Amino acid sequence: MTAVMAPPVKPAPPPVKRVRRGGGIAPPWLFAAPALLVYALVMLYPSIVGAGSAFTDWSGVGEQRSFVGFDNFQELVHDDQALGALRNTLLLTLAIVVVQNGLGLLLALGVHTTIKSRMVLRVIFFAPVVVSPVMVSFLWKYVYNPAPDAGLNAALNAVGLGALRQDWLGDPSLAIWSVAFTVIWQCAGYSMVIFLAGLEGVPKELHESAMVDGAGTVARFRHITWPLLAPAVTINVMLSTVGGLTLFTQIIAMTNGGPGYATDTLSTVLYKQAFVFGKFGYSTAVALVLAIFVAAVSFLQIGYLRSRETTA
Amino acid sequence: MRTAYRPRTFVLELVMVATAVAFLFPVYALVTLAFKDPEQIANAPLSPPDPPSVDSFGTAWQSASLGSALLNSTLITVSSVVVLIVLGSLAAYFLARQAGRLSYSLYILFLVGIILPFQLGMIPLYQLVNDLGLLGTYQGMILFYTGIQLPFTVFLYTGFIRSLPADYTNAALIDGASHLQAFVHVIFPLLRPITGTVLILNAVHIWNDFFTPLLYLGGSGRETVPVRVFAFVNEYTSDYGLVAAGLVLAALPILVVFLLLQRYVIRGFSSGLKG
Amino acid sequence: MASEIIRPQVSRRRLLQLMGGVAVAGTLAGCGGGNSAGGSGGGPLKVIGAGSQEAGLRKALDEYKKQNSSFDFNLSFSPADQLQTALRAQLAAGNAPDMHAVYPGNGSAMSMVQLSKANLLTDLSDQAWTQKIPTGFKGAYQQDGKTFIFSPGTSVLGAIYNKKAFAKAGVEVPTTWSELLTVCETLKKKGIVPLALGAQTPWVTQLINYALVPGTVYAKQPDFDDKMAAGSATFAGSGWADAMNKYLELQKRGFFNDNPNGTTYEQATSMVGTGKAAMAVQVSAVLQAYRDAAPSPDDLGMFPLPATDTVADNWIPGGIVVGLAVSAKSKKADEARKFIEFCGQPDMINTWAEAVACVPLYSEGEAKVDPVLKPFLHYLSGNKAVPFMDQRWPNAEVQPTHFAVVQELLGGKTTVDGALKKMDEAYRKTA
Repeated sequence: MTAVMAPPVKPAPPPVKRVRRGGGIAPPWLFAAPALLVYALVMLYPSIVGAGSAFTDWSGVGEQRSFVGFDNFQELVHDDQALGALRNTLLLTLAIVVVQNGLGLLLALGVHTTIKSRMVLRVIFFAPVVVSPVMVSFLWKYVYNPAPDAGLNAALNAVGLGALRQDWLGDPSLAIWSVAFTVIWQCAGYSMVIFLAGLEGVPKELHESAMVDGAGTVARFRHITWPLLAPAVTINVMLSTVGGLTLFTQIIAMTNGGPGYATDTLSTVLYKQAFVFGKFGYSTAVALVLAIFVAAVSFLQIGYLRSRETTA
Repeated sequence: MRTAYRPRTFVLELVMVATAVAFLFPVYALVTLAFKDPEQIANAPLSPPDPPSVDSFGTAWQSASLGSALLNSTLITVSSVVVLIVLGSLAAYFLARQAGRLSYSLYILFLVGIILPFQLGMIPLYQLVNDLGLLGTYQGMILFYTGIQLPFTVFLYTGFIRSLPADYTNAALIDGASHLQAFVHVIFPLLRPITGTVLILNAVHIWNDFFTPLLYLGGSGRETVPVRVFAFVNEYTSDYGLVAAGLVLAALPILVVFLLLQRYVIRGFSSGLKG
Repeated sequence: MASEIIRPQVSRRRLLQLMGGVAVAGTLAGCGGGNSAGGSGGGPLKVIGAGSQEAGLRKALDEYKKQNSSFDFNLSFSPADQLQTALRAQLAAGNAPDMHAVYPGNGSAMSMVQLSKANLLTDLSDQAWTQKIPTGFKGAYQQDGKTFIFSPGTSVLGAIYNKKAFAKAGVEVPTTWSELLTVCETLKKKGIVPLALGAQTPWVTQLINYALVPGTVYAKQPDFDDKMAAGSATFAGSGWADAMNKYLELQKRGFFNDNPNGTTYEQATSMVGTGKAAMAVQVSAVLQAYRDAAPSPDDLGMFPLPATDTVADNWIPGGIVVGLAVSAKSKKADEARKFIEFCGQPDMINTWAEAVACVPLYSEGEAKVDPVLKPFLHYLSGNKAVPFMDQRWPNAEVQPTHFAVVQELLGGKTTVDGALKKMDEAYRKTA
């Protein structure tokens, strides 16, 4: 990848005589100022103000709000709906991280071969990544039509698997997996290209000498490819974890958290608390907890995965 | 292991193509739906359209006002990405080359933005954009996307610049160039690979974003493609053919751009993120 | 790359302008905000309506504009859930449109009681039409004796049915719960889905309970809401349990379409329109959508869903439809109030009510009512109509909880007792 461009031709530097005043080669503060200003204006300031309302009982409209200390956080610990949402969030994330990356790896291994269709297949598997999640959700909502003669059910019937027809989004035990599958369908291509970039960095010579030593495909994958893919695994796991923990659009567009509370996640719960229940202060408390949670998980993950990279 | 094409390779090829066919099934369902009239949809939901009808496309294009939505989306996406590249690369250059605790803290401050859930600052930010008189404007959206995407952009650029040797700039500076000149003529061209990644990741995200434009642009006449499509789908939701045509039309532009630039897009997504 | 070299200056300058903007905005807020823009201000009146009131609201605005050449408006609509999001963001930011949709009574974050408590609505009490609000409906329009919303009248809730499907099965409109079950049984034997239920769409889940509780709760305990408020009654152990058990009985006997939790409102609508299903429990406000789905609008009728076997106990749900309020922050409040006054005139109320298939708030002489609603009128005049239950719920959490527990019941994930317990918990939370 990142082949560094040839630097523009410059004559060799003359002997160092004219050292700039200030002595350093570091660029001035001014370089960071515009970005910092916009970032502070759009993210830091609103987030701090927003976080402040986590300690109030503000409804989201009007002037009335009073400071309630940590009441919202205490309520959160006893809120069955939020706890159920936490469970769903973790299940969804786990499913997405495991299946999306597993599938992405298989696809990458499949197209990193001499098969004739490899370039076309890469494009096909990657294409959903660039489409808006809202549109993908609408598409899958149609595919998941529970009628026996529509969408996925009709397709299953057509290939003789009629017994597998389901109420994909309506069955409370199944809905969350249906949502996860939609995300996996859209993002598996993303994992695939990151693994592909990793595979391209595996030196051919290693495989060749292993083959001479009589190592089979599986053995070569285990002992050569897999260890060298560690950085790609890190990136993929990190990206899909954060994506899974903060999943929002697909759920709102497909199930709105239902049936019942079966697909509510922390993101949908905090959205509903703010806009449907009129409990903005509480919603912000959930958002804060989510942010800290995501940060903690990312931190632990990166620590573990990096150490794994170096020992591998 | 690019070796010869063997019988085993052929079996693999079959398996992969079969996977792709299954993978494409939802797309097939959607596209055929768009070409069918209501009667065909009711009677033969999965068979190819016979005869294909293109009526839905015209109606969908008109009722969802997709023409102007495309223009709005393009304007917002292109402007935001340009501003992001300029501000992000400049800031990252500073952060990567300025040693010291302060610049490191600043870098961490930017990274915090990657994990802040957007809901946290949503209402105060909305208030701010309103106070600035930027609700329902392109500028408001560009400002928003610049701020929201800067952390990720700065992160990508900083990592890349740190891996570059410092000698080139030093040479230029010693030659008497100003910092800005050195950046523009020496550093920025070296950043091409990561700029490609920044451009593509941000463009895809901004183009496809839904919730913020709904909030900021709803009712302004400057709605982006996902917002118009969402409203359209909600309005005609029982007319599957029409909805499908709207979705196909709305997804088409970015898919065409992707197909034209696929090599760069795929590389953009995978490089720069490689650790 | 040349073009990108020049940009930093441009964006830096723009940024400075922005920062200037912040400073200016800050100063204005310091002076008390709002008042600075001066007088009535130009530009059209900004109105955001709910999707279900579109037909009536648009007619009223067009008519008013015809009579007042200087009047201009900018009207937009959004479906219920988006309305919630976009409007609440605007209200939160103090950027409310001049007029916007508000739900009558209490029970939702966008309801009259919740918003008037936050001082976001303009008092309309001095307008003539407010004197005509019947005592029973005052709670829908008024808080602390002041009227805050305009609504054209009452919508009723019952079974929308396909007359052709009924004729095909040879069944008549039922008047008791047992007759309803027999009708369903006969329809089912003929291969027609008796009741279409699109419970994937959250607000649809509540309708069957709303149709049943006037009979199972309010006919025996007309003061049930007061008892709930006083804490001397709960959902659990009340006629609500009876209603939910009946809801489940309909499901257990296979009277709904397959997979109601995966079926949307629109899919259910088209089932009834095409005659694949015979009935759907719905509000009269959506009649138009059902008529659009049918080959001929005359194929559809409506009748009160009988909740019990005692005909005298079969009360109906009849609630004030989504209304319109003037924002307390509007700089064009006077203009908006004049428009509301115009809407309150008898002929305008009639026009609006007819457009959204509801019974007008009041009328001079014979009201023009959609003939389909005839079977409901004597309940309204005989005080056997109960407002939609959520309008008297104390916070915005009970209703979404109701949606969720019904989906859980249909999905076999909870029991009637468990469902009602959850609703009681939501009810007891502070507003």
